[in-house]
Amino acid sequence: MNPQNLSLNPTSIRSKFTKTFLRALTRINNRRPPISPSREIYQRYRRVKIAADASMASAVGSRRTWSRAILWKIRNQRRYRALVSRRISTHAMTKRDPRENYGREVGHGSADELRRIVPGGEAMDFCSLLGETAHYIKCLNTQVQVMRSIADLYST
Amino acid sequence: MNRALPEMLHCLNTSVGNLAGNCTDLTVLDRQRTRIKWQQEQFQQQQQQQQQQNYFASQGQQLQGLINGDLRLDQVVTRSLKVDPGLENGWPDYGKFPLPKTGFCEESTGFESAGYLNGSAFEMNYAISRTASCPPAVAEAVAAVADGKGKESIVTEKLSSAVGKESFKKRKADKAQNSKVVAEDDSRDKRIKGCAEEEDSKMTEQNSSKNNSSSNSKNNNNNRENSGDTSKENSKVSEVQKPDYIHVRARRGQATDSHSLAERVRREKISERMKYLQDLVPGCNKITGKAGMLDEIINYVQSLQRQVEFLSMKLAAVNPRLDFNIDNFFAKEVFPACTASFPTLGATSSEMANPALLQLNQLQQVISCCGLEMGMINPPDMGLRRTTSAPVSFPENFLDTSYFNQIQPSTTWDADLQNLFGVDIHQGRSTPFPSQPFTDNYES
Repeated sequence: MNPQNLSLNPTSIRSKFTKTFLRALTRINNRRPPISPSREIYQRYRRVKIAADASMASAVGSRRTWSRAILWKIRNQRRYRALVSRRISTHAMTKRDPRENYGREVGHGSADELRRIVPGGEAMDFCSLLGETAHYIKCLNTQVQVMRSIADLYST
Repeated sequence: MNRALPEMLHCLNTSVGNLAGNCTDLTVLDRQRTRIKWQQEQFQQQQQQQQQQNYFASQGQQLQGLINGDLRLDQVVTRSLKVDPGLENGWPDYGKFPLPKTGFCEESTGFESAGYLNGSAFEMNYAISRTASCPPAVAEAVAAVADGKGKESIVTEKLSSAVGKESFKKRKADKAQNSKVVAEDDSRDKRIKGCAEEEDSKMTEQNSSKNNSSSNSKNNNNNRENSGDTSKENSKVSEVQKPDYIHVRARRGQATDSHSLAERVRREKISERMKYLQDLVPGCNKITGKAGMLDEIINYVQSLQRQVEFLSMKLAAVNPRLDFNIDNFFAKEVFPACTASFPTLGATSSEMANPALLQLNQLQQVISCCGLEMGMINPPDMGLRRTTSAPVSFPENFLDTSYFNQIQPSTTWDADLQNLFGVDIHQGRSTPFPSQPFTDNYES
């Protein structure tokens, strides 16, 4: 009984994301709880969030700029957390994008904001920014649907 | 009008002979003057109308050689017909032109006769190219001639005048002309603007190609007696100028230099992707305008990101209590058929209000008892608003009850958890899949 045969389209982004995300969830759940219970939920939230982002980006692969940017960011955050002190890492975590002021032009208010929202969109021209935004929206939709179905399954 | 063509040809031959007889040993200025004089003679005869057609046909023919777009010839000839008032100011000898009254009729006849009047066209071309290198005494006449070449008439402008100013006037004149033109669709306006741009770009190229035409006209100087060859020569001129425009894919009247081509391609791509995004983002169909659509797209992306944050928070709050049957859901989730249909979920989604309420209570209490900062409290609220506005599987009373019960004491926590466990265990047993061997198989 192979699950690959039973799935509708095993190479689709949706099923790839589901597999990777559920595996990451089990890994998070199997992790032993930290000592301080006050930060437990927050850390779990961070982990789940990062797992969702990373599994989405790795399901898409490195073809897209936004997935590459997400993977780059997560990898650098891990390295920061391993290397640098905790204050800097929390600073990097609260900030949405560490490269926020990098390569940004002045003007074009809404386009600039879109650049900030879409990961890796700071150094893109407007045309490819729109393409990346379309793909990012589709993948976010898939992510939201899958995560909502998982959460509904857990909560019911 | 066909019956007038032999007369015009005759007139052309006489003009060629006249000029050939006169200008063998004259200077350029004298040649110009003799030509003006000859034209005055022609006007005082009863051939004004034909001469005008002759002249404009020559303009059109020359422009055909220059622009190589014979599709645009009608527009060009119309413009050169409208040019006349400007010419009246710039070159007083031309003031005796009768003003064109029916633009399109004369345009069409001029276009027909253009094929027959190649000699005259070349003659005019020759005169223009010679006078272009004249001292400033003739510069005014040069400007008038150059303007008469379908470049759009600006009153006695020198050739060295600012191009931007000229183009501005051109556009205005184009619009005025556009209002006069009968039976043209709306896209004409756009095209005419493109024409103006194109002529801006053509201005330099034409100046560079004047040397070419003058050298060819020297060849023609020998063969001037047999005016039958001049048509061949003229076609040779147009052949010489052809390779400048052969690779260009532009519709009628659009600019053809590489920058505007690339810009047009970029604009088309942007509008196509905008259209795609419009289909993708719900509620974006009613909005017109790029800025409003961008705002809507930004809002949608932000709402999706907040939903992801909220769902991950929900999963983080829920997971540790459900460790024992996560494999079961893992198995269920891997089956996309089950994921897509969700029969048990669809059955229970109507009475999902209670477990969802419990779930949300748990989440809120978890957040509040974790002592997180207010910035962390905000995202679930935002996410809640988003999810209630989204048309997916959340009941309407979800938000109200959750906000109503937000300040519940934490003593109900365990009871809620017990309820949750019960529901979950029941749910896990009611799944029709043989979960245990499958998960073993998958994890191995």
